[in-house]
Amino acid sequence: MMTIVIGRLSQAFLLLLVMSVIAFAGIHSVGNPVFNIVNIETATPDDIRNATIALGLDQPFWWQYFLFMKNVLSGNFGTSYIYHLPAFSLVMSKLPATFELAVIAMLIAAPCGTLIGLVAGRHQGGLFDRVVLRASVFALSIPSFWLSMMLILLGAILLGWFPASGRGTTAVWFGMEWSALTSDGWRRLTLPALALALPNIALIARLARAGAIEVEGQDFIRFCRAKGLSPQRILFRHTLPNISIPIVTIIGMQFGGMLAFAVVVETIFAWPGVGKLLIDSIQLLDRPVVMATLTFVSVVFVGLNALVDLFYAVLDPRVRLST
Amino acid sequence: MTTETLRLLWKSRREYCFTLSGLLLASYFIVAVTAPFIAPQDPYDPLQIQAWEASSPPGTHSGSGFVYWLGTDGLGRDIVSTILYGLRISLFVSITSTLIAAFIGLTLGVSAAYFGKWVDAVIMRVVDLQLSLPTILVALIAIVTLGPGIDRIILAIVIVQWATYARLARGVALSEIGKSYMDAARLLRLPKRRVILRHLLPNSMAPAITLIPIELGHAIALEATLSFLGLGVPVDKPSLGSTVANGFQYLLTGQYWISLFPGIALFALIASINFASEDIRHRLNPRSRSHGV
Repeated sequence: MMTIVIGRLSQAFLLLLVMSVIAFAGIHSVGNPVFNIVNIETATPDDIRNATIALGLDQPFWWQYFLFMKNVLSGNFGTSYIYHLPAFSLVMSKLPATFELAVIAMLIAAPCGTLIGLVAGRHQGGLFDRVVLRASVFALSIPSFWLSMMLILLGAILLGWFPASGRGTTAVWFGMEWSALTSDGWRRLTLPALALALPNIALIARLARAGAIEVEGQDFIRFCRAKGLSPQRILFRHTLPNISIPIVTIIGMQFGGMLAFAVVVETIFAWPGVGKLLIDSIQLLDRPVVMATLTFVSVVFVGLNALVDLFYAVLDPRVRLST
Repeated sequence: MTTETLRLLWKSRREYCFTLSGLLLASYFIVAVTAPFIAPQDPYDPLQIQAWEASSPPGTHSGSGFVYWLGTDGLGRDIVSTILYGLRISLFVSITSTLIAAFIGLTLGVSAAYFGKWVDAVIMRVVDLQLSLPTILVALIAIVTLGPGIDRIILAIVIVQWATYARLARGVALSEIGKSYMDAARLLRLPKRRVILRHLLPNSMAPAITLIPIELGHAIALEATLSFLGLGVPVDKPSLGSTVANGFQYLLTGQYWISLFPGIALFALIASINFASEDIRHRLNPRSRSHGV
């Protein structure tokens, strides 16, 4: 067991190391960030040289990477060129907004998707089932940026119910700011959360439908029917628990995906989260912040995946023995 | 129409739906290829654009004699024409990248199966890593690393997509390697490259081919998303995604047509590809044929 844990963790660590080299080399080749600091029209060659030295860009590439890694391991990604704040704490300060959005979106998507999928799968081939299948293909085909824009058009401009951008007033809880604690924040959360939730409703519904069809055909469900249980009871007490493992898995995976896909939705709704910070920083060539964000998201992902694998190894003896 | 014909149409509605998405797809391709001949104006020729006709609503008559059926954008370009020209870029980028990704992915997957040992280990570890990260994150890392440009976008989509093909092809190839024609090819002392590319690859390709339409839909959406974020195709070669992005700032002032219509074109393109590929999979799978839908 210990070998699996060590093997899996060292593998995850190696992957992160390789990714950091590739990403550092890439961002290094993209453009000179000095020209974002100094005014390109008025700067003298001396100014440019001083700025280059101040940013440490005059050092050889491998030395820059070495310094970067040394700092990363001590949690120091450098100072943002634009905000003049430590990059890592900047990313952390944007995290609650993204997390809040993803949680609300998943709280909408998971129950809706499961319920729709269950009901559709129970009457396979029926009208509702066919509508759900067609609609889910449509929902999965909508590019998320266009969906967000259409939600703004509908909810903010035509109906005027919801503001189109920003987080609104926030309330402090555990030292962080949360929109979900104020009514203004809720009105601003609605549209971006819907934009994130809709594709996930379709995805979860399809999975729940497939699971329900498979389970409904099995003997124990037939036995429940013969016993005279009500259809609702069979659906929620017998079918649902039996399809819950794949659904929980996909919810976990999609939750991680939401943190990443929030990039698009946050940019459109001007939601001040990690995704918007990343896109803004890429466009402004704010190298420390880009590196801090990408490193943070990658670590979270690789770590989550390693955890899931280990969890399966703990639960499933076949996995445990084969490795 | 008599009720009899209606009944027949209803009975064959599945074929009909398939034909509908197929027809839509075919017309998309024709329109994309012939865009320079059928578009009312060349939206990237400044001489043909009247700046004072900027942001005209749909149905406005232009000074040069034709009707802006879908209106004009913030710079006075005809929306119909920008959609037609944008479609060319979108389809070019996504088709090229999907085909390259399929070729690279299949070759690497088959090679991993053939060579085994460390080649297999290295390739499959990279595949695992990539498939565990969300596509948009991989694409963003690739774009940040590669920089802007139309060839970089294609490369970024290839980097995102090759892994799916590789994993599938490796699985199929592993079961092909034990077959006698592979032994025969080896006994003939054919060069390894020839064994892999001419014998193993063609025989392991079939399941991966069904992936191509699905991945094409993904590629179109990914390219549009990156272009929307300003990290995609360059400004002088706008795709459907960048056209929608251009309309975003006008959306808030109520000029919905600049982003609505290109978005519908994009959405219908992706939806028809997805419907067609779903139908193809459905037809190829004998077990699902008897069930409805």
